[in-house]
Order: sequence, then structure tokens, then C-alpha cells
Amino acid sequence: MASRAISSEAAFGRMAEAARVENAPRLAFSNPDPVRPTVPLSTGRHRLVNVRQRALVVAKWRALWVLCGFALLAICALVRLGFLGLTGGSSYSADIRSLLLPARGVIVDRNGSPLARDFRVYSLWFNPEAMTDGPPLVGQPQEVAEKLHAIFPDLDSAEVARKLASGRAGYLRRSILPEDANRVHAIGEPALQFPQETSRFYPQGSMAAHVLGFVDAGGNGKVGMEQVFDAHLKSEEGRAKGTALSIDVRVQGALEDELGRGMALSNAKGAAGVVLDVDTGEVLALASLPSFDPNKIDRDSTPNIFNRVTNQVYELGSTFKPITVAAALDAGTITDLGRRWPAAPLHVARFTIRDSHSMGTSLNVPETLMHSSNVVTAQIADELGGARMKKTMESLGMNERPRIELPARGFPIWPSGQWPRLRTMTVSYGHGIAVTPLHLAAAYAALVNGGIWRPTTLHKLEAGQVPEGRRVFTAATSARMRQLLRMIVSYGTGRKADAPGFRIGGKTGSAEKPGAGGYRRSSLIATFAAAFPMDHPRYVVIAMLDEPQGTQATSFQRTAAWNAAPVVSRVVPRIGPLLGIMPDETRDVDISDLKPLVPGEIKE
Amino acid sequence: MNLTRDRVHSIGWMTVLLVCGAFSVALMLRVNAVKSQVAATEKRIVYLQRDIDFLQTEFQTRSNQQQLKTLNDVEFGYEAPRAEQYIEGERQLAALGKAPAPGAPEPIRFASAAVAAEEAESAGSRLLAMVSPVTGATAAAPAREEAERETSTDAEAKALARDAKDLSKRLARIELAGGAQ
Repeated sequence: MASRAISSEAAFGRMAEAARVENAPRLAFSNPDPVRPTVPLSTGRHRLVNVRQRALVVAKWRALWVLCGFALLAICALVRLGFLGLTGGSSYSADIRSLLLPARGVIVDRNGSPLARDFRVYSLWFNPEAMTDGPPLVGQPQEVAEKLHAIFPDLDSAEVARKLASGRAGYLRRSILPEDANRVHAIGEPALQFPQETSRFYPQGSMAAHVLGFVDAGGNGKVGMEQVFDAHLKSEEGRAKGTALSIDVRVQGALEDELGRGMALSNAKGAAGVVLDVDTGEVLALASLPSFDPNKIDRDSTPNIFNRVTNQVYELGSTFKPITVAAALDAGTITDLGRRWPAAPLHVARFTIRDSHSMGTSLNVPETLMHSSNVVTAQIADELGGARMKKTMESLGMNERPRIELPARGFPIWPSGQWPRLRTMTVSYGHGIAVTPLHLAAAYAALVNGGIWRPTTLHKLEAGQVPEGRRVFTAATSARMRQLLRMIVSYGTGRKADAPGFRIGGKTGSAEKPGAGGYRRSSLIATFAAAFPMDHPRYVVIAMLDEPQGTQATSFQRTAAWNAAPVVSRVVPRIGPLLGIMPDETRDVDISDLKPLVPGEIKE
Repeated sequence: MNLTRDRVHSIGWMTVLLVCGAFSVALMLRVNAVKSQVAATEKRIVYLQRDIDFLQTEFQTRSNQQQLKTLNDVEFGYEAPRAEQYIEGERQLAALGKAPAPGAPEPIRFASAAVAAEEAESAGSRLLAMVSPVTGATAAAPAREEAERETSTDAEAKALARDAKDLSKRLARIELAGGAQ
């Protein structure tokens, strides 16, 4: 049994050996030691060489693959390294930085001082779902309302209690102080939450409110430049960088202060003022009083949103006389400034043009402007003719809405068609035509800057962006007007507007307001249109008071010489040095050739 | 298991690989740690920037033009400077120092007193502690020399010097009071 078994085993072994020899290359791989194969050397030598070669090739291939893998990794690492080195891997820090971007861009003045910016405030929000089970409040709604009332004394506790009891989510109060938020937190009601929200804030309060406008609850700009720039302020570019206006905060503040003071002293209903750069048309200040606070728009302040400077049209009265004279000088109908016109009341087509007081039998051009004679101005305009008068007014932009970015712009009361004789005469002294104070400012800029009219703008203009404008008056006429305007302030009705050293020139205008059945003698629009310094005009200042009363401060006078002119004389010394115009009493525009024409006046 | 050369080689390579892997993992962790630190710092910077914006807004609001105007009306009463407060240029400035001509207003004169040596020393050491950065000399030194040159024993000069000394004392006292606050 055993021998059989052995023999059978031996036979199996032989068979296995034979099989091994035949399948030698395959077995060689399973053999851990190819140097000493189980196959006899004599039979499998050349095959063995083959096996070794193949194994070597495979090993080399594998090494090559691994090398390739490593090389690939190294290249990847190098590429990544280079990428990070080049870009600085700033991709993730960008979204943190974006937290700093305001939801709405900042509006700054021409010197970069912020006028409108985003401000994050807490608001008090009632969230009944804060407590997952049970009632939304820990205490009674009435008690919680009382506690809130203790923190916010002006809160209506009954209404708040009703809101809390209703179980509906909603605002209890918008924009609360952080310390108040802490005190509300101390009440210990999880349902009272204070999410931080972005709101628009105007650090300067009501200053330049009409220029800026405000932002409504929906986040849309209203009224002023907030509305004009709405899309830009919300855009990526507008949020990243402040938007500059042509306004100068310091000038705006001075203008508002002095207009407010003038308004209070004369008990006026309202006031308006503009400061305009004569060479570029940039508006440096634009004030309409009474103003409103864009931080707090309520029912009381809503009527004040109306802009008197750009939206309301007025008959601006005698301030038009220099324009008439300039048009006549330009057209050549006045060749001699010393020529005299009779000053007796003038009868034209059932209408009598008269002066406020008697100014003698006859007047020449400088005297006409200095005393503000309607009669002589009407005669000058009559000689000029309606067509030329109208053309001058058209080229000064009096027949269209004022050119400014603000959405609220009033259309002038503009007599269309051919002007009859009487119309020409009344327009010459600022009646029968109603324009905004901004129209007047642009016209005065053209009058003194060498004769170029430019559209007014609230954009801050760079040196290359100044519009070319259009020529209205010749440079010689403009130079003559500077002398005449300076004479009005030096010796004429505008004496109260003078500020020593600032070489102010300008013209008063007191127009009666039209009412039911004619003009009302007691309600006036008092305007003073000025430019300074007259030897090289840089800025136009317009001050207008709506219905000033005669008070002790104005010596019981209502006319512009007593209320609007002093405003200018106080504004100019405040803004002049800020704008680079130093007062200097040794300089002035040369009026020596006109002085002999007004011998009596200068002695005074 | 017997260690042949190849085996040792491959084990060596594996070890090197493992060590390198461990190092790279450690480095990666370190890099990520620094990265998150940077991110956290940046976050803090952003929050601080927000706080700064908040405070700036508050400052701008408190210092807005209307507030300043009210403050000026109540406290200071400053007014716009007048024309005579400005000087046109060097020429006008020089004109102020012109030699008095007949009919010109009396120039404003300043009194000065010669200080005795030892008094100047004590006064100088207290008042004039400024040292020139170039020469290293104190400002008191020339004053002392001058005092030595004019060794006047005049009673009037002495009285003046005593007054000057008192003045220096008074000034010193005021300075101390200011410093203590």
C-alpha cells in the first residue's frame, strides 16, 4: 500500500516535472529565486536567459513608469508653485475684502470729504419662531413692551404690545444704538433680535441735502444725485470708489450759514443760493432753504425737498439789466457809455414803466446800472430790438430747463414767438420772463468770464473735461461789464455787498411776485447776483431771498440791497480764501475810464 | 525573510518615500495653519476696518459743519479774516520793517535787559535746554558770553536781571503746572 503510494507519488512527481519544464517561463515568475531554478540547467539554459531578460525589461518599464509619475507630480507641483507665486493665491482673500465694500458707493465732495456713506445699524426685529416650542415670549407681551418703553421712551408701548401679541414677525424699531441693543438683550427675550442692516447716512446732516437727495426704504436713490447716480453707486465700480461731486463742503456750509442768517434777519419765507465756477460751470455750492435732513425724511420735511435753485422759476428783476446792457454793447447799439437817456416814466401801449424813485432827468449807462433804472434799461432794449434781445437770452439758455444733472429742473416761463415792443422792454429789467436762479448764475458767469456760456454741472471736472461752451458776448463786452458790475458795488445799489479786498461786482434785483390780479407790492423776490474778484472773475455767487420782510436788521427795507447784498458780503470773505482768492486792497479792476461819467457819485 | 541587496534597496526607497511623505504632510499642515492664520488676521483686519469706518462716521457726524458752526457761535466767535490780515507777498512783508519815515506811525519797541553772568547761567540752564545738533552747543552759551562781555554792575541792570530771573521762574512754574496736568 505504501510502496504503491510512493510509486504513484513518484510518478506524479515525474509528471509534474515534465509539466514544469514545458511551462518554464511562466513558472519562473513564481519561483522566488531564478538563479537556482528547479529545472535542470542543461535543459532550460537558453530559456532562462530569455526569462531574465524579460524580467529586466519589465522592471525597467516599471521604473520608468514610476519615474514618469514622479516627474508628472513634480511638474504639477512646479506649475502650482509658479501659479501661486504669480497670483499670490489671492482668490480667497478677495471675498473677505468684499465685506468692506459698501452696498452703495460713497459720495464725496470735490476734496474727498464724504457726504453720503453706508452705515451699519442695528434694528429691533421681533422673531416669534426663535422659541421652538411654547409661546414666542418668555414674559407677557405687555411686560416686555413696558421694558422696551423704558429703553426707548418715545416707543408706543400699547402698539408694541399688540405687535408682540400678534405673533407675526416684524420690525419693532429701525436703527437703534449698540448700547440700546445691549439693554434689549438684557431683557432676556430670544424673540427680540437685532440684525445689523446697512442704511444710508449723511454725516453732514441737512447740508447739501438738495444736491444729494436721499435713499428710500427700498434702497433706491431719490431726488438728488443719489437718484442720478443710482445705477453707478450700486455697480461694482461705484461701490469700490467714491463718486466725487463738484460741491465743496466748506463753501456749501458757508453759503447755507449766511443764507440762513439772512433769511432769519429778514423773516424771509425761503432762500436760495449758488456758487459757480465761471470758467468751468462747476457748481461749488447749491443751497435751498428751508432744507431737510436726508437722514430723517418725515411728513414735516417733505415740502422742503422742493429745490428753489433748479426747480422754481422766478422773475428775477433788475439782475437782468447787466445782460441787457451787455447785449446792447455787443450789438453796437450803445457806442458811447456817456450817452444820456431821459429818465421820465415811459408810456408804452397802455402801460407805464416807472422807476422806484426819481433819479434825475437823464441817466447814462453806468448811472442806469448803479441806480437800477427800469426806464432807461427799457429804452436801451427798445433800441436793441426784440429779435436780438431774444437771441441773447436764448444763447444764455433761458429758453430751456437749466443744464444740471439734478432730476428736478423747472422750465422757464419763456415768451415764445416774436417779442412785441413791450415784452422786450419788460424782459430787459427782468419781468415777463421767469427763470431759475441757476439760469441767472450761468448767465452771469458768461457775462464776466470773457463771454463764454457753459452748462452748469455737479460733476467734478478734470482740466481736460471742461466743455468748450458757446460764445455769447465778445471779450471786450465782458471786460466792460466787469467794470460796470464793480461800479454798482463800489458806488451804486450794491454797496452793502462789498467786502474789502475781494473786488466783488454784482447787481441787486428786487422783483414783485405776481399774484392774483397783478403784482403784489409787498411780496418780493430779492436777489443779488455777484462775481468776484472782478479783476479776474473766478466765482459767481447768487443769493436770493423769497419774500423778505422789512425788519430792524434790514432797516425796515425789503429790497435786495438791504437783505440779499449783505449775505454776499458775508459769504465771499468766508469762501474766498478757501478757494484761493486772497483779499487784497491794492488790486481792483481798472475803472478809471468810467469814473468821469459818474462824477457826482464817486464823491459821496 | 532574508535581506538581499535589492530588498534593502527597495525598503530604503520606501522609507525615504515615507519620510518625504510625512514631511510633505507636515509641511502641508503647517502651510494650511499659516494660511488660516492669515485668513483669520485678514478677517480681523476687515472687522477692525469696519470699526474704524463706524468711528469715522461718528467723528464726521460730531464734527459736521453745522455742529462746528454752533460751537463757534457759542464758544469762539471766530470770523472770516479781513483783508488787512493778509500779506500780499515778500515785498509787503519787507515794507513792514522799513526804516521809519517822517509822519510814519511810531514803531512798536521791545525792551531787552542785560543779564548778569551767574544769573544768566542759572536762568539759561533752566530755560534754554536746547542743543544745536550741529555744534553741540547749548543756546544758553552765547547768552553767557554776552553777559560776561558786559560786566556792568549797574544797580538798574541788576534790578532788571532780577526781574528777568523772576520771569524765568514764573515761566518754569507755568510749564510745570502744564506738565502736571
